[in-house]
Amino acid sequence: MEIHPFARARDYPDSVFHDVIPNESELTGGVTIEPGKQYGFFTDTTVCIGCKSCEVACKEWNNLPADDIGLTGQSYDNTGALSANTWRHVNFIEKKQALADDTAERPARGVRDNDQNAFQSGWLMMSDVCKHCHHAPCMESCPTGALFKTEFDTVVVQQDICNGCGYCVSACPFGVVALNPLDGKAHKCTLCYDRLKGGLEPACAKACPTESIQFGELSDLWERAATRVEDLHARGVTSAYTYGTPDAPGATGDMKYLNSFFLLTDRPEAYNLPAAPTRPSNRVAPAFAAGLSTIAGLALAAAVLFAGAKTTRD
Amino acid sequence: MPEHRDGRAVSKGAASPEAAAWKGPTYYGRSQLKPSPFNAWVVGGYIFLAGLSGASAVVSTVAEAVQGERGAGIGRKGRYLSMLAPLVGAPLLILDLHTPTRFYNMWRIVKRTSPMSLGTWILTAFIGGAGVAVVAQLGVDLLGLKWLKRIARLGSAPAAITGAGISTYTAALLAATSAPYWAADEKGLGVRFASSSIAAGSAALALGEKSRSTRRTLNAITGIALLTELVATAVHHKNVKAKGVGASLESEWAHIEEAAVLGLGVLLPLGLYVASRRLGDRKRAGAVSDLASLAVMAGSAMLRVSTIRIGQDSASRPEVSLRFSQPENLPKKRRA
Repeated sequence: MEIHPFARARDYPDSVFHDVIPNESELTGGVTIEPGKQYGFFTDTTVCIGCKSCEVACKEWNNLPADDIGLTGQSYDNTGALSANTWRHVNFIEKKQALADDTAERPARGVRDNDQNAFQSGWLMMSDVCKHCHHAPCMESCPTGALFKTEFDTVVVQQDICNGCGYCVSACPFGVVALNPLDGKAHKCTLCYDRLKGGLEPACAKACPTESIQFGELSDLWERAATRVEDLHARGVTSAYTYGTPDAPGATGDMKYLNSFFLLTDRPEAYNLPAAPTRPSNRVAPAFAAGLSTIAGLALAAAVLFAGAKTTRD
Repeated sequence: MPEHRDGRAVSKGAASPEAAAWKGPTYYGRSQLKPSPFNAWVVGGYIFLAGLSGASAVVSTVAEAVQGERGAGIGRKGRYLSMLAPLVGAPLLILDLHTPTRFYNMWRIVKRTSPMSLGTWILTAFIGGAGVAVVAQLGVDLLGLKWLKRIARLGSAPAAITGAGISTYTAALLAATSAPYWAADEKGLGVRFASSSIAAGSAALALGEKSRSTRRTLNAITGIALLTELVATAVHHKNVKAKGVGASLESEWAHIEEAAVLGLGVLLPLGLYVASRRLGDRKRAGAVSDLASLAVMAGSAMLRVSTIRIGQDSASRPEVSLRFSQPENLPKKRRA
C-alpha cells in the first residue's frame, strides 16, 4: 500500500527538514494554495474519533490560551463551546437508548437509536469550527470593515481594526464569533490565514489523524463529500448527509453555502447546529421600510393636527 | 436552578404549550447562539435618546413648517432636544464598545448590509444638521442675532430627515442579527420603535409647554403614536409567537416589558391625557400632562432596554433558537 497519499511527499524521504518546504500543503493535503481560489473545510464527522488534535493544533499554532480547566460532566467534552480562544471544538454526543417514556416526543436519534453496538459505540463526535459562510453575517454586520473576505474566500477579523462593538457576535447564526474581554476584540477561526499565505494547510486539518477534517478547494471538497455520502448510503448508513453545501441544510435562507461544511448522520440540532439559518442582512430593508413609513404616517398626522390647531394663543 | 460551569442558567423547557419551543435534542442544553454583548442599559439608553432626539426634530420641524412663526416655540425646543442624541447618546455608544479608543473606525466604511454602519452615518449627518440648527438657535437666544433664525430653521430640515433615520434604524440594528426575538418580526419591531420614538419626542416637546393649544396638539400626536405602538405590540407579539419564539415572551424581562412599556408607557399616559383634557384648572391640567409625558418617556426607554434583554435571553436559550431556525420559518420568497 502506498504510504503517502499525495505524490509530492515522496520527494521528502527524510524525517528532519532544515528548510521550509515550498507549498507544503501539496504534501499534506494534496492541494496547492493559490490566491483567488475558494478554500474551505470538509469535516466528515463519521470518521471523527474525538481525539481533539484539532483543538490542540489550533491552540498551538494560534497561541490561544485554554478557556477553562475543569470538567463539564458533558461526556468527554470539557471544552464546551467555540469561543474567542477556542476556534475548534469537538462535540461529543452520546446517543442514549430510546427510553419507553421518551420515544413519543423525541425523534429517533442518529444512525442507530435502539442499541449502542458497533457504529461509534453510540457516540457522535464532530469537530465544530467557524463556517466561513459565503454570505457571512458577521462580515455583513461589521461596521468597521474589520471582518473581511480574504483572497482564499475565507472570513477573517483584522485585529488592528476591530473596535469590539460586538455586533458580529449577535449576527452569527452559528454562535461562533466571540469577544475576548481581555483585549476587547472579536475573535474566531481565521482558517489559518497566515499558514495559507505560506503554502501550509490549516493546523487542524494537518493534525487530524483520521482525515475527518479535510482542507481543500471548495469544488473538490464538494465532490469528495458527495462521493462519501453515496458510499455511506451504499453501506447502509442512510442517515448521512452534508450540512452547508449548496441547497443542503445550513445553506438555507439565502446563506448560499458554507465554506466549511460537514457530513452529519443525525439532525443538525443534535450537533447544536441550526437546521435552517437565515441571512440577517435580508431583514435590514424591511425593518427600515416599516420604521420610516410609520414615522412618515405619524408626521403626516402631526401636520394635520398642527394645521387644524386653534390659532389663538392661550 | 442548575447552572452551567460558566454561570449561565441551564435553560428550562417552555412553560406553556402555545410557546411551542424546540422539543428535540439540544447539545446538553448549551446555547446554540452567543447573545449580543451589548449592555442593555447603555445601548437601550442610546436607542431611546436617538429616538427621542430624532422624533422631536421631526415633530418640531413639521410644526414650524405648518404653523410658521406660531410654531417657532416648538421649533426652538426641538432644536435643543435634538442635542440629546449627540451629547448623551453618542458617548453611550462609544462607552459600549469593548475597544472605545477605536470608535473612529466606524467611519472607515459605508456598508448597506450593516445597520450599525448605516446608523453611524445617519447619526453623523443628524449631528451635522441638528448642530448647525442649535448653534444658530443659541445665537438667536443668547446673542439676540435675529437673522440666525432662518439658518436655525434651515438646519432643522436635514435634522428632521436624518432624525427619522436615527429614530428607526435601531430596529433594523436589532432585527438584522440572529437573535430569535429580534429577528422573528423585523417589520413589527420597526413599527414599534418608530411609534415609540414619535411618542417620546412629542411627549418631550410637550413637557412644560405653556400654550394650552400647543400642548393639546402635541398630546394628541403622542396619543396617536401610543395607540399605534399598542397595536404594533400586539401584532409583533403575535408574529413572534407564530415563529415559535413565544417562549421568549415568558422570560422575566418580557413581564417587565408588559408592566413598564405597556402599563407605564402606554396605558397610563393615555388615561392621563384624557384626564388632562377634562381638567378645567389650567395648572393642574398642565401638571397631569407633564406627568403623562414623563411616563411616555420612561416607557419608551424601557421598551428599548427590555427588547435588548428579551433578545439576549432568546439567543442564549437553545430551545428557542433551534425552534426559530426551523425550515418552516424560512422566508417564502428566495432571492435568485
